[in-house]
Amino acid sequence: MARPKEKELLDKIMGKYIPGRGVTEKVTIPDRVSLERYESLEYYKDQVYRCGKCGQCRYTYQNAYLARSCPSGELRKFESYYLGGRNLLLWGLTSGQLRWSDALAEILYHCTLCGNCTQQCQLEGIHTYALEWLSAAREKAVEEGYGPMPEQKRYTQSVLDENNPYIEKHDERLNWLGNKKAKLPKKADAVYFVGCTSAYRQKKIASSTFDVLSHLGKDFTVMQDEWCCGSPLIWTGQVEVAKKCAEHNIKEIEKTSAELVITSCSGCYRMLKEVYRDKFKIDYEFEVVHSPVYVMDLIKKGELTLEKPINKKVTYHDPCHIGRHMGIYEPPRELLQRIPGLELVEMFRNRHNAWCCGAGGGVKSSFKELASFAAQERLQEAMATGAEILSSACPFCYRNLSDAKEENKMDIQIMDVMELVQMSMKT
Amino acid sequence: MTKLVEVDKIHEELAGIVGERFVSNRPEELFLYHWDFVTAEEPGKCDFVVMPEKTEEVRKIVELANREKIPVVPWISGINIGGVCIPREGGIVVDLRRMNRVLEVNEDDMYAVVEGGITWGDLKGYLLKNHPDLRAGITWSPPGTGVISAYICYGMLDLGMVGGTGAEFINGLEVVLPNGKVVRVGSCMASDYWYGRQPLPDLAGLFIGWEGTTGIITKAGIKLWPNLPRRDYIVLGKTVDAGISIFKKLAKAGLGIVDMCFLNYVWLTATQGVRDNEKIPSEPEKAGLPDFYGLVTVTGATDKELDAKEETLMKICSEQGEMAVRFGDAVGIYPENQIGEFLTYTSTPIQLYTVWDFTRGGGGEWTGGYVSSKHIVEMYYKMRQAAIRHGMRPQFYGRVMFGGHYWIGRMNISFNKNDSEETERARRCLMDIDEEARKVGSFIRYKPPPWAKARNFEKADPNSLEFMRKIKKLIDPNGIMNPGQGL
Repeated sequence: MARPKEKELLDKIMGKYIPGRGVTEKVTIPDRVSLERYESLEYYKDQVYRCGKCGQCRYTYQNAYLARSCPSGELRKFESYYLGGRNLLLWGLTSGQLRWSDALAEILYHCTLCGNCTQQCQLEGIHTYALEWLSAAREKAVEEGYGPMPEQKRYTQSVLDENNPYIEKHDERLNWLGNKKAKLPKKADAVYFVGCTSAYRQKKIASSTFDVLSHLGKDFTVMQDEWCCGSPLIWTGQVEVAKKCAEHNIKEIEKTSAELVITSCSGCYRMLKEVYRDKFKIDYEFEVVHSPVYVMDLIKKGELTLEKPINKKVTYHDPCHIGRHMGIYEPPRELLQRIPGLELVEMFRNRHNAWCCGAGGGVKSSFKELASFAAQERLQEAMATGAEILSSACPFCYRNLSDAKEENKMDIQIMDVMELVQMSMKT
Repeated sequence: MTKLVEVDKIHEELAGIVGERFVSNRPEELFLYHWDFVTAEEPGKCDFVVMPEKTEEVRKIVELANREKIPVVPWISGINIGGVCIPREGGIVVDLRRMNRVLEVNEDDMYAVVEGGITWGDLKGYLLKNHPDLRAGITWSPPGTGVISAYICYGMLDLGMVGGTGAEFINGLEVVLPNGKVVRVGSCMASDYWYGRQPLPDLAGLFIGWEGTTGIITKAGIKLWPNLPRRDYIVLGKTVDAGISIFKKLAKAGLGIVDMCFLNYVWLTATQGVRDNEKIPSEPEKAGLPDFYGLVTVTGATDKELDAKEETLMKICSEQGEMAVRFGDAVGIYPENQIGEFLTYTSTPIQLYTVWDFTRGGGGEWTGGYVSSKHIVEMYYKMRQAAIRHGMRPQFYGRVMFGGHYWIGRMNISFNKNDSEETERARRCLMDIDEEARKVGSFIRYKPPPWAKARNFEKADPNSLEFMRKIKKLIDPNGIMNPGQGL
């Protein structure tokens, strides 16, 4: 929900505030275009030119236009850095009016693929499929030799060498576990898929999640030979390497006989839950669930009660990969609201309208200015709520927001939802 | 500007004015400034795009262009339908969208001072957040398009019955002339207030209706209005004649109507997403279907006032044998999965997808203009026949302006802009529609592409035309300002 004053304003303006959709009068999207997802740029070429470059994609809260939506466009300003511009550049490309160039590739990669623009555009094909062709364009860039960006090549090499994009040793992946590493079972009902960022950078998220799962008494394990999920590869157009990671991870998960995979990272979640199956056509039997959703479900079943109060004002940042891309908005919020003493306040742009943290789509490595710009704006928005803690459910968002916080010496604490859950558990 | 050394020199100078990151001559950026992306008009070509942030930067850019005799094209969104900011002779496109701020709102005198590049989305969002009791007159344009460009091109607003075209809503302007001098017109010329264009000589006319060929507007004072409670009505007419007859009566009924516009059946079905051409009779009256769908907006301070207005409105319609229903009650004419789309019609700016059927291929252009109320019906039928002759769907849209003093009507053609043959067919069709409209006598095309501007001038009084050209020469002796637009 919006803050009281803003909600009042929004209600006054539109008379229709829909939680999760902000202010919207467009309650349905006409289902007139039905296409496959995860296809090639060629497949979508009859959609891209339908864009009229009307600018709807630049604003959140349709028909109210209360805020901007696109980090890339807001930083660079030129038409080419908004969805409308990119659509029409792709028209130029697919119709032979433009040719591949380094500059074109730079424009196409200068985007977090957050999808806020597509939420705002109500033109049916674009609303539903623009993210598909923005991703497909990167695959084409790789095919043509213009992608990925140099820094992305560097981390890709690291994935090939050490199975993680952080240029860290693969055999140090589980160091965050300390001596618990040796006690990990080979088979279990569930696998905690840690992800590279939690394993090598935001280790506290990994250990908090591990502790919560242990506290619950669930039969789970962490894979000794977990690889990068492939998210930083697929969204930079590198399908083949990403697919190799997927095939390996699926094989490893199946070795454990687990029926459930629990993720910490929203990027890993989308990969395991959707991309492995829909893009790579890999079939598997287990379920995939994001950690806050899993824990919230157990709370609802009465298997967990959060008892220790956290008397703090907290706001929640929706990670794009679980929010706009996968539709998870409420469980992390519900979970935070189960913590005694915690007051959840919303940022002005939330849920479908959430401003991206600026990390995804290969941006953090290759376009540092954009990553920092987006994160700063999000931190300012969080601080405007009066929150003491900015919480999220993605270590990569956490990392980018933390970096911007340090860089700009901003006074707000950043914590993952699972860290707060761990703090609130009875010990 | 074909020599590389000149390109580099100009690039360096522009970068010195606005900063390196806000000037570009990369083909990938320029491509997006060559087109009016929804129209059938031919694309142009520019050499640079530059994004200034303040008047002084615009002044320096224009000064440079004038010195080097390089064309300058003021630009905000580029989708004005007439292609009036397609760069026809190369040069520098001045993209004004970094100049998108509201500088002042005077609640007492009800005006805002805004920068020249402000878009509808920015203006509406700002007023909703900061001055919710006031509103601006807004065109049925997309949110990313320019406010001031619409006003100076006689755009029609959703307060058209109150104040006429956008030009009437301008209180004053700050303009960078082609010689790099900055001038102010209106009350702001002699005071700190932007309350109107009186009582000094009204120099705003040197920049209104010239489609950016006499200067670049960097600031404008625009009228605001009380944001009163409103009621919207759909007025149905069996034929366009019948509907227009009702609208003429409503305009004179003293009901405080703020907006009156209408669609014909074909445009309505396009917004409903009806794809099957066989199901869309171009002459619906022959199939017993109403051809007039009016939207009337009334405001009032109290429910009692609104009730009284409603009673009179309903009475006038029923006396004419037609009917009016509250907007919300008409929702049933839309398919269930497009009800949200229907509801957007009472909220400007509009989203482009609601205006015409983009899934036909993203192309849409209209021929339209201002016309005497005496000729609007005849004009409609002439335009419709022209479209039918070309096998195109005749989408018509009209509006009653300034209390009924004049009208506007335009016919839109949807086409696949990725199909060059269909685009060419649309272009020929639009030219024929334009020719038919002109036969009624009072029609003058607005936002005209060069070919239509030439037709406007064919009928112009020679002395007046000569006078106009002398003024243009005086203001822009080197002809750098948006050249090739038919002046």
